[in-house]
Amino acid sequence: MKNINIEQYIESYLKKVSTTQMIIIPLVLLLLSLVILGWSFISTGSPVELGIEFTGGTTVTVESTLSFEEVQQQFTSQFPDTPPISARDAGGGRVMLKFAPMDEAAQMELNEYLTSNFGKEISLQQISALYGKNLQISAIKAVIYAFLGMAVLVFIIFKSVVPSGAVVLSAFSDIVIAATLMNLFGIALSLGTVAALLMLIGYSIDSDILLTTRLLKRRGKLDDKIKGAMKTGLTMTTTTIAAIFILFLVSTFAQYVSSFSRIDIISDISAVLLLGLATDLMNTWMLNTGMLKWYMGREVPIGKKKRGGRK
Amino acid sequence: MRDEEVERGLASNPRILLMSGAIIISLILLLLPAIFPDLGFGGLKYGLDLDGGSWLQLRPEGAMAQIDADVGDIITHEYSSFLNTTVTVTGTTDTSVSFEVGTLVTAKQVESLGYGQAAVSGGRSGVSAITLQVDKNHVISRYLENSYKTEVVLSEDRDGLWHEIRKQTSAEELEDILDDVGGSVILYRDGVSQATLIKTKEILEDKLNLFGLSDVKPTIVEREFILIDLAGIDIETAMNLAATPGKFEIRIQTEGNESIHAVYGEDIQTVGIHEANNGVWGVPFTLTQQGAVLLREAAIETNAVNAPLNHEVIMYLDNEVIFSAPLNDRLANNLKIMPVQDMSASFGGDIESKESAKQLESHLRAGALPVNVEVIGSGQVPASLGAQFKELTAIAGLLAIIMVSFMIYLRYRRKEIMLPMIITSISEVVMILGFASAVKWQLDLPAIAGIIAVIGTGIDHLVIITDEVLYEGKLPPTKVYLARISRAFGIIFAAAATTIVAMIWLFWMGFGALKGFALTTIIGVLIGVLIARPAYARIIKEVLKEEQE
Repeated sequence: MKNINIEQYIESYLKKVSTTQMIIIPLVLLLLSLVILGWSFISTGSPVELGIEFTGGTTVTVESTLSFEEVQQQFTSQFPDTPPISARDAGGGRVMLKFAPMDEAAQMELNEYLTSNFGKEISLQQISALYGKNLQISAIKAVIYAFLGMAVLVFIIFKSVVPSGAVVLSAFSDIVIAATLMNLFGIALSLGTVAALLMLIGYSIDSDILLTTRLLKRRGKLDDKIKGAMKTGLTMTTTTIAAIFILFLVSTFAQYVSSFSRIDIISDISAVLLLGLATDLMNTWMLNTGMLKWYMGREVPIGKKKRGGRK
Repeated sequence: MRDEEVERGLASNPRILLMSGAIIISLILLLLPAIFPDLGFGGLKYGLDLDGGSWLQLRPEGAMAQIDADVGDIITHEYSSFLNTTVTVTGTTDTSVSFEVGTLVTAKQVESLGYGQAAVSGGRSGVSAITLQVDKNHVISRYLENSYKTEVVLSEDRDGLWHEIRKQTSAEELEDILDDVGGSVILYRDGVSQATLIKTKEILEDKLNLFGLSDVKPTIVEREFILIDLAGIDIETAMNLAATPGKFEIRIQTEGNESIHAVYGEDIQTVGIHEANNGVWGVPFTLTQQGAVLLREAAIETNAVNAPLNHEVIMYLDNEVIFSAPLNDRLANNLKIMPVQDMSASFGGDIESKESAKQLESHLRAGALPVNVEVIGSGQVPASLGAQFKELTAIAGLLAIIMVSFMIYLRYRRKEIMLPMIITSISEVVMILGFASAVKWQLDLPAIAGIIAVIGTGIDHLVIITDEVLYEGKLPPTKVYLARISRAFGIIFAAAATTIVAMIWLFWMGFGALKGFALTTIIGVLIGVLIARPAYARIIKEVLKEEQE
């Protein structure tokens, strides 16, 4: 019975929302996102908040029975020249501290203090400002190259400008809107979240290629083809969303049910994927579908005319 | 896809056989250590973030520059300040420069600046005419060495000839130095040559081996950095082991606290194991031919060959004295005649001397680092936290599988479809892990994220296959089935190709932690589209056929 329900929803969606609306709404959101990213770039020098991997600095997680404010105080008085810039509870009786980039001597001093006062149970990550800058450039390159590679391949696969352009535009919009949402939710750009943005390219392409192939290569009524593609595509994306959601819950909230620590990298990756996949639902089934509908709807009358002319 | 293939039974289908074989091999590889713990092969290797340990990323400090400068100007500048008199260049050729100085000098004095061999004539009215045999690039290098007080070596690559300055500097600093002699920087880049990078890496590896960390293999990343993963070692120890070794230099005492340079660590060719020779603890080492010549020159210049007791040989590590002793008589006599490559640094016969010899041995090895290294990144994950991460990702993975099964069941309402789908997905994970085990790469958190990505697209593709094959809820006639299945694979191959293209850059650029992610994704996608999904297509057809009969 459930199947029929889904089909009904799809049908009423296709009836209610016009092709123009399908294209305009995602485009407006894309534009708005670009404005937000641009504004953020102008005001902070970066479209999204950068994690310490890109800014340089040190994060330290120590076990402590004290509150994170107290631990921060303790480190501030111990290292007045390089005090922690932030602190938070990391779960499982752990406190996470962040420090601005420091020189090697200061880092050695900090390491020594950590090992002698907190034993072996410390996590630490330190990146120099210079290397952070370097990673930033590498990450930007990776995303741009990945995107260009994808775009070229899509054009080779579909050989036709509008359908390929629609796929590429919707993948672009996925990344841009996901980055904007990261910005709004305060998720910093780290190596993990760069990986997530790259994964998004892969996920985004899956449903877009499905849609385009079904519409261009299958015979039948356009709306029926869209319906079929949507049914398959929605199953794909919702299944992935469900799995990623579990990943997000476990990596983020396990700290509240037992002594587990938060796995930041998995938590960040899954959060970005969730945001991105939700965005992808819109971009595939509104923007990309709308553009294909417009493209094919424009072609059909021409074909009809020709046939009519021959009669 | 041929018809006969479709008609054949499931068990003998090549695609099914391929997948079964791959799964069995993967399982064997993964379970081997559990059954034969002493075999040392198979099983999974975990990254530091899962197994605990520390890592260091090091950047050799230095710069490479292509430089243009006039030999005559450098000679004028250098000798006028060295001899404290006026210098007039009277002529230059490609291989020599002739000049006059307003004082009486010897050839040896002129040569001591290291620019080349000198012929001195004249002495008429207090003016010496000098002809130096020079090489332009050598003169520039030597000038930089004198200005920077560090080694400068020539290195050639496809972009031309570079002067490698083995010290942290900047383009501005270099320009300032060259301004004094009217020279200019044509090209400048931070970092050292590949050869120096590799050399530094090898020496670090030796040093770590000396401390019993023989399985630690430093790697070069991004053609610029050295990455060292130290499993089970805390960050403080790691920093002390790998990051602190600095520059090694042998000098020979001239008078009091004064000494002259003889040999840099680079000219130490091999270092032996510390040993007791006739009851005296020492460390044997050999110099390169060039090193032997340099040491002899310095020994002769300081007169250490004739009066060894007044001119001790001093070894420095990062400007700290680590060894100081006179040349022994036999060696001093030999050096008068010819360069000597085989050396030994000796201490006394007591237990303290043994310790000193041991320490000097590691210093000699480590000290041979051609450049200083800067720690640009470091980290530590305690083993207990890594174990937690492992447990947590396993729980998350299991729950995710249950969730996916539930979603698939919700959509198709048939366990005949859900079960093959989930089993195929799990098989993909097993095969990826099997592959990881076979090629011995480390599974870290980013790699696990890669597996998640692959499984996500994997399920997507299985849904595409299923929906194409299911024709109004039933299996279509063979001809329609074949047409639809090839279209499904058209979509899947296109999607897989774009994912691989997106990841290949990341793998190729290979920066830090994301290389594992890129590799897992690429391998996973390949295993998925080449092995698992074709087999699934065959299975799902069989399942639906049986259901209909």
